Amino acid sequence: MESYSWHARRSRCHHLWVSRVADVLTDYLGGLNEDLIKDNFIIVYELLDEMMDNGFPLTTEPNILREMITPPNIVSKMLSVVTGKNSNVSTRLPDATASCIPWRKTNMKHASNEVYVNLVEEIDAVFSRDGALVKCEIYGEVQVDSHLPGLPDLTLSFSNPSILNDMRFHPCVRFRPWESDQILSFVPPDGEFKLMTYRVKKLKSTPIYVKPQLTSDTGNCHINVLVGVRNDPGKTIDSITVQFQLPFCVASANLTSNHGTVNILADKTCSWSIGQIPKDKSPSLSGNLVLETGLDRLHVFPVFQVGFKIMGVALSGLQIHKLDIKNAPSQPYKGFRALTQAGEYEVRS
Amino acid sequence: MAPPPAPPQKSPSPSQPSGKSEVSDLKLQLRQLAGSRAPGADDSKRDLFKRVISYMTVGIDVSAAFSEMVMCSATSDIVLKKMCYLYVGNYARCHPDLALLTINFLQKDCHDEDPMIRGLALRSLCSLRVPNLVEYLVAPLGAGLKDGSSYVRMVAAVGVLKLYHISAATCLDSDFPAVLKSLMLTDPDAQVVANCLFVLQEIWNLEANKSEEASRERETLLSKKIVYYILNRIKEFNEWAQCLVLELVAKYIPSDTDDIFDIMNLLEDRLQHANGAVVLATIKVFLHLTMSMTDVHQQVYERIKAPLLTLVGSGSSEQSYAVLSHLHLLVMRAPMLFSSDYKHFYCQFSDPSYVKKLKLEMLTAIANESNTYEIVTELCEYAGNVDVPIARESIRAVGKIALQQYDVNAIVDRLLQFLEMEKDYVTAETLVLVKDLLRKYPQWSHDCIAVVGNISSKNVQEPKAKAALIWMLGEYSQDMPDAPYILESLIENWDEENAAEVRLHLLTAAMKCFFKRPPETQKALGAALAAGLADSHQDVHDRALFYYRLLQYDVSVAERVVNPPKQAVSVFADTQSSEIKDRIFDEFNSLSVVYQKPSYMFTDKEHREPFEFSEEIGNLSLGQEPVGNSPRYDESDKDLLLSTSEREENGGPSTNGPAASGYSAPTDYNSSLVSLSSQTQSETAISDPGMPKYTSQMTLAIDDLLGLSVSAAPAPPSLKLNPKAALDPGTFQRKWGQLAVSISQDCSVSPQGIAALTTPQALIRHMQASSIQCIASGGQSPNFKFFFFAQKLDGPPLFFLVECIVNTSSAKAQVKIKADDATASEAFFGLFQSALSKFGVL
Repeated sequence: MESYSWHARRSRCHHLWVSRVADVLTDYLGGLNEDLIKDNFIIVYELLDEMMDNGFPLTTEPNILREMITPPNIVSKMLSVVTGKNSNVSTRLPDATASCIPWRKTNMKHASNEVYVNLVEEIDAVFSRDGALVKCEIYGEVQVDSHLPGLPDLTLSFSNPSILNDMRFHPCVRFRPWESDQILSFVPPDGEFKLMTYRVKKLKSTPIYVKPQLTSDTGNCHINVLVGVRNDPGKTIDSITVQFQLPFCVASANLTSNHGTVNILADKTCSWSIGQIPKDKSPSLSGNLVLETGLDRLHVFPVFQVGFKIMGVALSGLQIHKLDIKNAPSQPYKGFRALTQAGEYEVRS
Repeated sequence: MAPPPAPPQKSPSPSQPSGKSEVSDLKLQLRQLAGSRAPGADDSKRDLFKRVISYMTVGIDVSAAFSEMVMCSATSDIVLKKMCYLYVGNYARCHPDLALLTINFLQKDCHDEDPMIRGLALRSLCSLRVPNLVEYLVAPLGAGLKDGSSYVRMVAAVGVLKLYHISAATCLDSDFPAVLKSLMLTDPDAQVVANCLFVLQEIWNLEANKSEEASRERETLLSKKIVYYILNRIKEFNEWAQCLVLELVAKYIPSDTDDIFDIMNLLEDRLQHANGAVVLATIKVFLHLTMSMTDVHQQVYERIKAPLLTLVGSGSSEQSYAVLSHLHLLVMRAPMLFSSDYKHFYCQFSDPSYVKKLKLEMLTAIANESNTYEIVTELCEYAGNVDVPIARESIRAVGKIALQQYDVNAIVDRLLQFLEMEKDYVTAETLVLVKDLLRKYPQWSHDCIAVVGNISSKNVQEPKAKAALIWMLGEYSQDMPDAPYILESLIENWDEENAAEVRLHLLTAAMKCFFKRPPETQKALGAALAAGLADSHQDVHDRALFYYRLLQYDVSVAERVVNPPKQAVSVFADTQSSEIKDRIFDEFNSLSVVYQKPSYMFTDKEHREPFEFSEEIGNLSLGQEPVGNSPRYDESDKDLLLSTSEREENGGPSTNGPAASGYSAPTDYNSSLVSLSSQTQSETAISDPGMPKYTSQMTLAIDDLLGLSVSAAPAPPSLKLNPKAALDPGTFQRKWGQLAVSISQDCSVSPQGIAALTTPQALIRHMQASSIQCIASGGQSPNFKFFFFAQKLDGPPLFFLVECIVNTSSAKAQVKIKADDATASEAFFGLFQSALSKFGVL
């Protein structure tokens, strides 16, 4: 551990490196806590050894590490039972360390021959108490899950790349094709990875509305929350939840809804899970908050955090035009999916 | 890598061995397996090794099994090898004789067929860190640097640095740096190149002070040839190595502007790298390269904005905090460039408080004519936030914007609305702000005072807010009809007022009010001065006495001192100097930015301590109050000391008119300050126990006090002690054994002191107040024994050690002093004696 503190002392400390180490450990151990580290200390030592030497960061590329040190997952445990060999270290050095494409082995063989591209978007929005949009933005990721043999060369293009802002790319993405033609050209690492992240600003349409109303008089506060579809995204809006923190000055609360279930947790968090919006009515939550004695009206107003999921739609409107694969021995299976979910979707009251 | 040095185990697992038997049991089992070639032997070995390592990890000493472990290490199983290397690396340093045992098998492994084993063995060999084994390192390292496998070369490069840290001479004599340099410029593997670069930087940096050649070599690393060579290969490097390269480029001094643009073009796409560390390092390069080109520098800000804002939005809160801190730094340097991005700094409900706080600061900084309305509206939303600290910060932010803005009108209205929210913390924060606003924009007094006048002082509890309210009551008493009466009721509850700050303000406000409305305030002022004189707080007492004397001397002069016409404050002082800010900027992409401190403040021990303590001015001087200095006033009271100017005399004669009998009028205020403060010490001492009732006979009482002849206080000691000195008992004992007694003397303890010394703790606490710490104490009445120590504040850490035996029946203390610097012990004895003599008296 000395070398690590030494590293930190030389102010050339990558605060972001630490979080990457945590990511790798989480990936390997399936979580990160004291017990997991204690149970797997040998692996932790091995990993740290390969990730840093004498305070100098080496590699944190999961693909390379996985080739040097096999994760202690169920498959390897089963293998060890079957074969009686439970070495978690590959006997060979990863080829990638010697290749110019550090994220990929030079000679990959696969039973499957498929590649999936997922657009995953999170919508962040803040509404003021009168329902006006204060800010709205989409943060999106292009996730690729690739199981392709050999050294495939992929190009992915969008129908409307101009809506994207502030793209960041996986190291495998070639910069020039994007600069000139907005085409993503890359040799993918094996398995799942984030090909690109982007933001879409200045979005006007938001899928659902939440209208809270709070009126107080003489020690009581009546609360009424309405939820409904604002702009129909064309697909079902799923897993809708509304969550808010009851102000500390609320002594007790009595809340009912005409759809879904309402729970008030010990820390005064109130969560209303709605699921899907039914066709015949719009869900509403109403009830009464009793304020602590001495308080006449409510001064602190809760923020309503909304959660939802829409499968099959990238709400930013980003569309994949096509995916070409060169260098593939046979035409692989290509799958596309999209998902939008609520990020920080907040309504003030 | 060495495991952590024996962390104390909080909850020992049941399997943990309690004594030596388990270790010897392990030894035995290992020995049995050592020679075994039986199938399955490796598996049993692995279990045993695992146990050994797990004991080692939790801090149990298993070094006894060293030779057995080494015997078992002859295996082809790589996991066994790794565990064995780990074990050896951990214990070699404290058992150099045993480490010799391992050299043989490690050297053998360095010639293994498998490059991974070669690499690992070499890494372990270099990590032994045993100085007398250095000679065994040179040959394997030399071979490693020429190895066919890049993995081994990579390990060998870092091995050179390890060797350098063990023995710089061996490393340099073997000419390894030259080998590294050629490797750096020719090796096909980017990681090898990166490691070589890292090692060379490290070595030449450390050597540069010693030899000219080394500092020349260090310059070469920053030469155009090398920087361009590495930059052209940057895409081959992994992300962390890229950071290293970028760090190097940030130090590069470009020859001309073409040079700058070439580099920036080459690195442009690094800004879109998925790794935030690379993005930040690139930003640093851009910022540093363009320092001298104002226009381009500004364009760079525009260019890096988007990547930074994206980085803030992605990843965990911790990550976004780190990035946000960098953004914060840039925003503070050039707020106008970010003024259109204000929405990015809006707080989300789910942001942690530390993120919100930074965002609020940035919103404050970037507010200008075009966005103030939106920003202030947003901030007002937060004022009703459930998160109280953030609500407070938001109100403060609104206030700061008001102080820096042109269109204050609307903001003042909002602040006044806050006051109507009737939440105590909102009211409290707002009052402080309204006070600051009034100091800058006195023209708003009419509107503000109307609202402030409606606030009941009973609803304001926080000292700062109460002080602000009282300040306004005093300052604007002519506009607030019931100001004297509010002050009067506050003064009546003097004893319940805990904060000295509030009491000080009460005194000043009563004075100001008195000058404006003498008949109504006369009674309140009298009560305030009496209560102030009886106050146990030194500053309050001093101020009350000072006011009283001033009034005695001349009421109109008193008014010129206490309530002169004020100029509006134009700029409030900035807390951080621009030099420090520049330093932090130079250390962009490091923890300095996150801590908002230059690195020397948290890495250097010598720098850290004075820096922390300089904030506690109160503790720095010892023993006597600083005699001869004018009393300190807190910032908010600076108006007291502002230059006075002529003002029409206000007629009302004071009850405590200038009729003092035994008081010789001083010729100027300074000398009156001096004479007052020099006497305060003894006055409090005497007046404390049975304070006479002042309300009726204040003048008399004060004259009495003045009449007392006070023996001159001892000269101010030049020696200052560190109030937070620390010394562990072991060091104390060692020092006590080494040093000679420089002073051994008896001194007397006051009868009150003897009475107070019922337990040793009483004296320990007392001495602590004088920066003299106790390290051990004991005894029972009548004999108590103490060991004290103290540390000199400035210069090298010099300690004073004291043995003090107090005999309560004879009221004597035997003092023996030992000091690192015997010449200073006389001065220290003076301090010690005076501190001791005050025990029980104060």
